[in-house]
Order: sequence, then C-alpha cells, then structure tokens
Amino acid sequence: MNFRGRHVISIADFSRPEILQVMERARDIERSAPRDLFAGRLMATLFFEPSTRTRLSFEAAMQKLGGRVIGFSDAASTSTKKGESLADTIRMIEQYADVIVMRHPRDGAARLASELSRIPIINGGDGANQHPSQTFLDLYTIAKLFPELLDGTRELTIAFAGDLRYGRTVHSLLTALCHFRVRMLTIAPRGLEMPSQYLEQAKAAGIPLEETSLQEAIDRCDVLYMTRLQEERFPDPLEFDHIKASYRISASMLKNAPAHMRILHPLPRIGEIARDVDPSPHAHYFAQAGNGIPVRQALLSAVLGSVER
Amino acid sequence: MSDSPSGAAKIRQVEAIANGTVIDHIPAGMTIKVAALISGSDDQVFIGVNLRSSRHGRKGVVKISGRELSERNLASLALIAPEATICIIREYAVIVKKTVPMPDRFQDIALCANPNCVTNHEKWSTRFEVVGRSPLHVRCVYCERSFEATDLVLI
Repeated sequence: MNFRGRHVISIADFSRPEILQVMERARDIERSAPRDLFAGRLMATLFFEPSTRTRLSFEAAMQKLGGRVIGFSDAASTSTKKGESLADTIRMIEQYADVIVMRHPRDGAARLASELSRIPIINGGDGANQHPSQTFLDLYTIAKLFPELLDGTRELTIAFAGDLRYGRTVHSLLTALCHFRVRMLTIAPRGLEMPSQYLEQAKAAGIPLEETSLQEAIDRCDVLYMTRLQEERFPDPLEFDHIKASYRISASMLKNAPAHMRILHPLPRIGEIARDVDPSPHAHYFAQAGNGIPVRQALLSAVLGSVER
Repeated sequence: MSDSPSGAAKIRQVEAIANGTVIDHIPAGMTIKVAALISGSDDQVFIGVNLRSSRHGRKGVVKISGRELSERNLASLALIAPEATICIIREYAVIVKKTVPMPDRFQDIALCANPNCVTNHEKWSTRFEVVGRSPLHVRCVYCERSFEATDLVLI
C-alpha cells in the first residue's frame, strides 16, 4: 500500500490492513527515531480554531525528525477574518508547504480542502465530525498495551463512558475497532447515549455490545475510554451537576479492577477522572497523549513518502 | 392512471395532455413541492392533489405539457418522491412508463441539513451518497452525517 500523497480525512477511509500499516510504522519510528526523516520538508498547520494538544503534537512530531513548520493557530490573525474562502486559503498554502494539517470549526472542511489540494491534507479535527490522528493514537495506545488487539488471540473488552452522543473521538474509535476482535460496553447519561448508526455499525461488524454502569465496567473491562461531559449539552445546570457526579472515577472505585485495566481519555479532562487516580497504575491518559508523537510521525511520513535513510 | 384515449371512459381527475410527462403516485403532501421543483416558468403544468390511490390512499399527479424531465428533474424527484412513476405521453398515449431512476449519489440537488456542514458556509458543491432505501437515506460526503431524504431542502 502506498500512502504517498494521500489525504487523511476520516478513519472510515482506512481499511484494516491500512490501519495496521500505520500502527507498524508508528512502532518502527518510535523504536528507531530516525532524526532526519523529515529533513527539508515543510508542514503547514492551519488551525482555524484553537487547539493546544493536536497542534503542538503535530509540530513536535515534525520538528523532532528534522522537519520544519509554518502556520497559524487562530483564524483571527489570517485573511479568513477578511472574508477569504477556505478554498482560496488552501490554494495559497499548498504553494508553500509539503503537507497541511488543518483544524476547522465546520464539519467536512477537511474533505473540502482535500478536493482541491495537490499536497496531502491531514485532518486535525473538523467541527464535530472527524479527528483521525486521535483515533490512530487511541488504537496505537490500546495495541501497545494489549498486542492481542492486532493478532486477535483474545477478545478485548473496551468500555466507553461519558458523552457518547456528541463525542467524536468515541465514534471514530468505535468505527476503527469494528476491524478488530472486541466487546464493547457503553455507559452514558440518558440523552447522551451512542447514536443508533454506530450501534448498527458495531452490530453489523459482529461486535457484542452492552450497556452497563461505570463501576461494573471498571471491574471487568480491559480499557475504559472516558470522555468529557460538556455542560452546554444539558439545558438544566442542576441536572448537569447531578449527572457529572455519577460519571466521575475516583481511586476508591478501582479496588476491584483487573490489574491490567487501563483508563484512557482524549483529554482535556474536566473532573470526570479525579486527581487521586493519576498515581494509579490504571491511569494511562498521559502516556496515551505521548503516543500522539510517533503516530503523527507515522502519518506524516506515510503521506510524505518519507523513508529512513 | 391512463392518458390514452381508451381510458377516456373513466372520469379523468386531472386534464389529459397530448404530449409531455405525467408524474403519478406522488405521496400526498409532496405534490406541490414536486410541481414547483420541476416546472420551468414557461411550462404548462396540471396539478392534482389528494387524488384517490389504491397504493397510497391519497396521491398527487403532476402533468407537464410538451417536454420530458431533465436529469436534474429526475434527481430531484428521486430525493423527494422516489416512489412516484413517470409516464411519457405522445399523442395522448403512454409510450413509456417507468419508476424514478435512483442514482447512487446526488450532486448539487439539495442543501445539507447539518447547519454546521462546511457546504452551508463555503461556496462549494453539495454531494450525498445513498446509504439506505425505503425510506431513502443519504449521507453528506463532507460532514458525514446521514439524513432521511425528505429532511433535505432542495436547491
């Protein structure tokens, strides 16, 4: 498979062998850290809305392996503010750089950009739609913890908790996990349950799915994927406070967790994981964020066609 | 429904046309929309609403005199009235009777129903792929959301 020149827009565009190839490349890069992999290559980061971790992680990924970076982190400082169309911005930037990483507040912006760019576009988040590099890093994290994810020698139990209705990281990860041997548990407040199209997708892939409680999930899953509850989703602030309290993990809830169980979170967390969980061996969210570097290096090297010299 | 002279014994619910296109079995409530979408400003159009139908209970009929439907007309019809039938009329006789052809994708026929979809904010094509039939469901190629076709606003 040749990824050179390819756009990375949505996890649904990737087959199982392609996902495995990205995982393998990330593992190789993490082991060998080829220092001049991106020498002479320029990445443009177009962040039409702010993001700390995705932008810094892509920039670190590029610069650590010898590449350079240009870009902006706030559309207010660009011609977009003057009314420039997204299409014109892309047509201009593609003259300057070898690859574009973009985040945009509108759903579908990255797909639109990919239709007119002659250099690869990597979607760093388009509105509430997709964030494929996050999904690749989530998968990579799970595969590093549990290699059986990739070889299918054991069924992994993955629990999703929090806002499963609007959480795009959850939807994309579910889509990707449909290629693997997993069982899924879901824990969500009423009204924020997993949308039916994703339940159908899992069902069609033959994945067992069940609703459960947070405590039960902690006691029997391999991976607990937590997400943030967003206050703006709740019309009643009192209801939000009440529900927030029931979607919070604290150290005391981990007593009966399997020793190998790991908690992941795309971050930022707002309070759904208490700080007393951080020192626990179950806490894995910061290591997960660290995996963003080799995974983004893998994606960049794949689309740039960079090979170790 | 017949537009042939032999069918004239029945009381016709909508005026017959000599040449043109009859769109029959339009679901109740969609008839005016269908007529508005496919008729040009110079077209002679006959509309029947809430007619008796053994298939739908009630149905609509739109007759356009003097022409056949364009590709764009057919695509619009596929989105809002996929179960309609199309009859081509020549000299009062039905020479072709067919169902609405269902494309696999629609381009620039409807607006995306997701207010945050990029196509509602940039000057760009809209594109949908058919992901389910009866009822017809389409998915926006850009924002990746799926909609029932009747939820879309046609361009």
